[in-house]
Amino acid sequence: MNPARALDLPKGGERLVNGRILRLVRSGPERRALDAGQVDAVLDAATGTACLLPAAERALSQAGGPFSNALLDALPREDYRRLLGELEAVTLTAGEVLYEPGARIREVYFPNDANVSLLIVMVDGKALEVGRVGREGMVGIALALGEETSAVRVLVQNSGGGLRMKASAFREAITRSLPLQRELHRYAYAKLIQARQTAACNRFHHVEGRLACWLLMTGDRARSERIHLTHAVLAATLGIRRVGVTNAATALQRRKLISYRRGSIRILDRKGLEAASCACYANIRKP
Amino acid sequence: MRAARPRKPKSGAAGTTVVVLRLYIASSAPNSVRALANLEDICKKHLPGAFSLEIIDVLEFPKRALADGILVTPSLAKLSPSPAAKIVGDLSDRGGVLVALGIKQ
Repeated sequence: MNPARALDLPKGGERLVNGRILRLVRSGPERRALDAGQVDAVLDAATGTACLLPAAERALSQAGGPFSNALLDALPREDYRRLLGELEAVTLTAGEVLYEPGARIREVYFPNDANVSLLIVMVDGKALEVGRVGREGMVGIALALGEETSAVRVLVQNSGGGLRMKASAFREAITRSLPLQRELHRYAYAKLIQARQTAACNRFHHVEGRLACWLLMTGDRARSERIHLTHAVLAATLGIRRVGVTNAATALQRRKLISYRRGSIRILDRKGLEAASCACYANIRKP
Repeated sequence: MRAARPRKPKSGAAGTTVVVLRLYIASSAPNSVRALANLEDICKKHLPGAFSLEIIDVLEFPKRALADGILVTPSLAKLSPSPAAKIVGDLSDRGGVLVALGIKQ
């Protein structure tokens, strides 16, 4: 069990929490740092534990914890720690475009609970989703393969937390960490498989099954049964007309697999939705 | 898992004094991340090839930190050369950190 304890006293607890912290840190440079907001945790000698301050607890919780990105989580801790100084916690907001096609990749992202779409943009401006990234992976994998520019538009679909790193620091990190190289190659291969599957899915599978698959995968990556997006975004993502999305969503809702209201979709029956999904969900759910 | 280990063991050139540092952090909490970034920058600029840094995550090893006399994180301990020093906070006061480390008078 992690010896760290969160100071979670939801109602009226703030004063008690602060009072306890102040009792532990009464004076000296520790108190000055505390007053300056530069302290994350206080050690309690009586219990032999570390107590997170509320702001640090919120930050770690928002980011999903230090190891919530599965790609980073797979690294040995020493390798992860080497990356720590270069990683910056960020909030990715739905609708935000991280890269446009042809743009130089200046930063890479490791999402936690954010969900990101990779879109191919056609000459007429139409876009089609060809991949997605959540906590299992990273945005900017092209850099690990020696490519400096993005081939796709990268659009945040579901807001959430993530970690950001400058491209130059990422390249340096790759050269000094074999485990990171291994994870990136494994992930790049998984993305290749996913792209192949998506291409076949877009061509052969019916809209209702594709929508079910998309909702399940998005929910998996966001670790949530609630997905916020509009028909228009869904239509663009799946490369179909809005009426097609309406028909498919209505059919799934009628079967009580999802509920849909004002840009918010909720998965009501995960097993049922899996049964309604095209086979691609089972094939690529473990990227 | 080992409790902690030197992160960047560096041997100074002949005649160079190696500054031995230990940074106590709370995982990737904001002040801890800032402290690590600030320290890396300071070491790169002022102690190239002449420092040894050990990082201890107090969320994993609170008793180790307590045994070392640490009360809060982030905290940086300069273990050698003497005099020993302790700096608390995110190390954004670069002038103060340089003085505490004996790099600047």
